[in-house]
Amino acid sequence: MITYQLTSMAIGVLLAAAILFLVRRDHLHGPYSLWWIGVAATVALLGFFPRLFDLLASKLGISYPPILAIVLGFSMLLVKILTMDLERSRQERLIRRLAQRLAMLEAQAPAPNGADATEHDPSHSPSTAE
Amino acid sequence: MGNLNPTVVLIPAHNEEATVGDVVARVRRLWNLPVVVIDDCSTDRTVRIARGAGATVLPLTIQLGAWGAIQTGLRHALRQGYRIAVTLDADGQHDPEDIGTLLRPLATAAADVAIGAFPDRASRARRFAWSYFRGLTGLELEDITSGFRAYNRAAMIALASREASLLDYQDVGVLLILRRKGLRIVEVPVAMRPRAAGASRIFRSWWVVGKYMLQTSLLCIARVGFNPLPPPADD
Repeated sequence: MITYQLTSMAIGVLLAAAILFLVRRDHLHGPYSLWWIGVAATVALLGFFPRLFDLLASKLGISYPPILAIVLGFSMLLVKILTMDLERSRQERLIRRLAQRLAMLEAQAPAPNGADATEHDPSHSPSTAE
Repeated sequence: MGNLNPTVVLIPAHNEEATVGDVVARVRRLWNLPVVVIDDCSTDRTVRIARGAGATVLPLTIQLGAWGAIQTGLRHALRQGYRIAVTLDADGQHDPEDIGTLLRPLATAAADVAIGAFPDRASRARRFAWSYFRGLTGLELEDITSGFRAYNRAAMIALASREASLLDYQDVGVLLILRRKGLRIVEVPVAMRPRAAGASRIFRSWWVVGKYMLQTSLLCIARVGFNPLPPPADD
């Protein structure tokens, strides 16, 4: 007979294991891996002790503990998504400036054997006749 | 065009093979100024034609849009030591004859930025957009979206900053940065020729216009009461 406790443990362990595997394989860059190790630890802890939420909810005056888990989880997701967009904006700025710098360098040192070599790869310009 | 005030003409171009050669050649012939064409990932013969007409070409590897291309030109101009940069469109709607009119306020130090304005030519929708943004920002300019401009070195430095790199158009966001830096902007009425080929990058479709209006409105509102920042880093 599978109990609620077993299911929760299995989910927690699987998630934590998947995250730790990815971190060990170096698929996550430094600051992200820190966040995700924290997530793995939390998920494992809650998987083993799902009652923690009941305790916490009663302390906070919440009568239906699962909703606390959902609200907290949702808030964490929102924070994560927000920081992702911040990071994307930072990267967009970097990429733009990098492309600009590259264009400036290419203008100073055009490709050898004529200017046409600096134009885009053939797959991009199917209509180029000359 | 004395050597004390070296001036460069910046022309952003994206698939403008029909007109870019003529524009570059006219600028070279009329003013004998160095011309830099910033190629925004054209897939046609824009690069070859611009080079053939005597321009230096900055080839962007990623399409950055009109403002990204102009900023590339400004950064290049600063590195090359130019004191004044004139921007004009590659589609032939800005008459190179008017560059002299545009440069006059900068030459007399009456302003840091001169904008070639074509208020009479604008459609009703465009006029509406202008007056809306004027109301939102308090900018006292007629033609907010004109790409025919002259910048002096202080303005070039302000606009080459990292802060300006996330802008998408050479209009309200750019003007707000200039105003925040305390730079003086004047408008100079100039003649405008009908667009020879291609379409405006901004006023293209209702979807694009809607996105543009929303994004730019947010930009205006987000900058309300924004105080000057510390001086920008060079790169």
